Amino acid sequence: MNIWKISIQNIKTKPLYTFLSVCILALSITLLLGIQQLKNGFKNQIETNLGKIDLVIGAKGSPLQLVLASVLHLDNPTGNISYAEANKIAKNPRIKLAVPISYGDNYKGYRIVGTTPDFLTIYNAELETGRPVKAAMEVVLGATVAKKLNIKVGDTFLSSHGLVENIMDVHDDVLTVVGVLKPTQKVIDRLIVTNLESVWDVHHHEDETAEHHSEHHHHETDNGEKEITSLLITFKSPRSLLTFPRKINISTNMQAALPKYELHKLYEYTSIGFKTISWIAYLILVMSCLTIFISLYKMVKERAFDLAILRTYGASNFQLIRMVLYEGLIIVFLAFLLGYIFVKMGLTIALHFISSNYQQNILEELPFMEDVLHLGALVLLMVVASALLAIYPIIKMNISTILSHEK
Amino acid sequence: MANSKVTDIIFRMIQTDHLTFQYKKTDRVFRFPDITLSKQEHLLILGESGIGKTTFLHLLAGILKPNTGKVVINNVDITTLKANKLDLFRGQNIGLVFQKKHAITSLNVLENLEAHLFFSEKSKHLNKIETVLSQLDLLDFKTSKVNALSEGQLQRLGIALAVIHEPQVILADEPTSSLDDTNCKKVIELLIEQAAQTQANLIVITHDHRIKSYFQNTITL
Repeated sequence: MNIWKISIQNIKTKPLYTFLSVCILALSITLLLGIQQLKNGFKNQIETNLGKIDLVIGAKGSPLQLVLASVLHLDNPTGNISYAEANKIAKNPRIKLAVPISYGDNYKGYRIVGTTPDFLTIYNAELETGRPVKAAMEVVLGATVAKKLNIKVGDTFLSSHGLVENIMDVHDDVLTVVGVLKPTQKVIDRLIVTNLESVWDVHHHEDETAEHHSEHHHHETDNGEKEITSLLITFKSPRSLLTFPRKINISTNMQAALPKYELHKLYEYTSIGFKTISWIAYLILVMSCLTIFISLYKMVKERAFDLAILRTYGASNFQLIRMVLYEGLIIVFLAFLLGYIFVKMGLTIALHFISSNYQQNILEELPFMEDVLHLGALVLLMVVASALLAIYPIIKMNISTILSHEK
Repeated sequence: MANSKVTDIIFRMIQTDHLTFQYKKTDRVFRFPDITLSKQEHLLILGESGIGKTTFLHLLAGILKPNTGKVVINNVDITTLKANKLDLFRGQNIGLVFQKKHAITSLNVLENLEAHLFFSEKSKHLNKIETVLSQLDLLDFKTSKVNALSEGQLQRLGIALAVIHEPQVILADEPTSSLDDTNCKKVIELLIEQAAQTQANLIVITHDHRIKSYFQNTITL
């Protein structure tokens, strides 16, 4: 026999109240952890996917759209720019790295990006198996693509036109897998990487055979000039960020967008939602602490006689306080366990749902020990505070009065 | 001469000295007679309701602190003990029997006895539980919840709880008042029997004259 055992028995004698307390607390923990997880996943995706990209140059239009399309590979591109003009910019001595990317096709919803070998260095991506792309119509797969589609080095496939999966519009050119990348937890995991020529070739052939699309992404203009979707730029010094974009925006018919700035803006928009849910979750946390307080207070008041009897058994006030506190702790533990399971389950289901529908799981599962610890400390603090409030009557308790009123 | 005084003190297990008590916000001052009991000596304190019987018992148990006077049990003046020490002293040396309620409702019979031994730090008596329960005819109800017991069984559980830790003093507050004659006889006989087994003093306060004949020492408040 010890104090824990008595606390457990006390809890067992009021299953309904315990159930209620645990459920409400678990709900708030689920919400708080879940929202934190989503928030972090979102932020993490944005930050890691930026990689070393300081600037994106593309066709005029919405800068956010350009960044979403070229950096996060989510939205449609704003249009195409001239490869020759892009090359001119790329030669600027202040630029450390300039990577052209060109879109147009997908395979089962995964985007095929035509680019240069430098694209891999932006994301520090390394090959898991196979070799880099050496010739046109060769591709290297991101880790997620290879895993989800279950294709490996040596396999071939036909790409579909556009950025969304469709069976109506399949190209004739066969793409061959020559390599698979290691997982990076970055956007490149979900991409199929090839060289610029592959993208140009595929669409060049099509232009010769038939003109069956009004929304066709022309990668070569009528006069044979080559086009790309955008140019990803890394500067030697961050100072260039101050003047370079302005110059592009004013002196060319292209636009320069700062991904960091655009994505920060996007994050700000969405964080209002996160904040609202967080406040609701905190409110529920306060409510649940109130429930725990009421439950413990009720126990202390209604079972004053039991507590007085324990004092006659030899228990000190301090031991009784510990008993009530332990009850609070057991409730916290159960709620945390439940909340953790809910969050894990919820996220797994949500991630599965998102990734199977869009092949774009912008929100990836992250290790969230730190959040758990932070939240654990907060919840513990609040519940201990509620328990201590509930304990007050014990300290004021006059066992003589309680015992003499037994009759 | 010095020697005889020492033995004199040792044999006085319980002694009270000019005890007075006044409840807050009241004018009435309770004055209690001095009592001196040597080892295994029992005492019946009779008195009508409102005369301060329970107050006296609570003073003896250290549940209340007197305004003046002292209570010496086994050579310890319990009125001078600090709160935690007093709780432990009470748990170890005093067994309390009440009129109706005796045990924690969230624990069963066995768990109550274990809890008592835990708090009084007398876990070495754990192996005594079965014996005491069988003597009090409660062995079959070992795992019963307290709420499920009959009044007679509850009263016997009260006795078990009062003797399990082998206290120096058993204090009983109206232990028989709500019982019929048969149970009354049974309970008082069990109390005396258990007190004898643990070599404890038994002090009963009551207005129940049926048990008068069991005591040699009687005082009336």
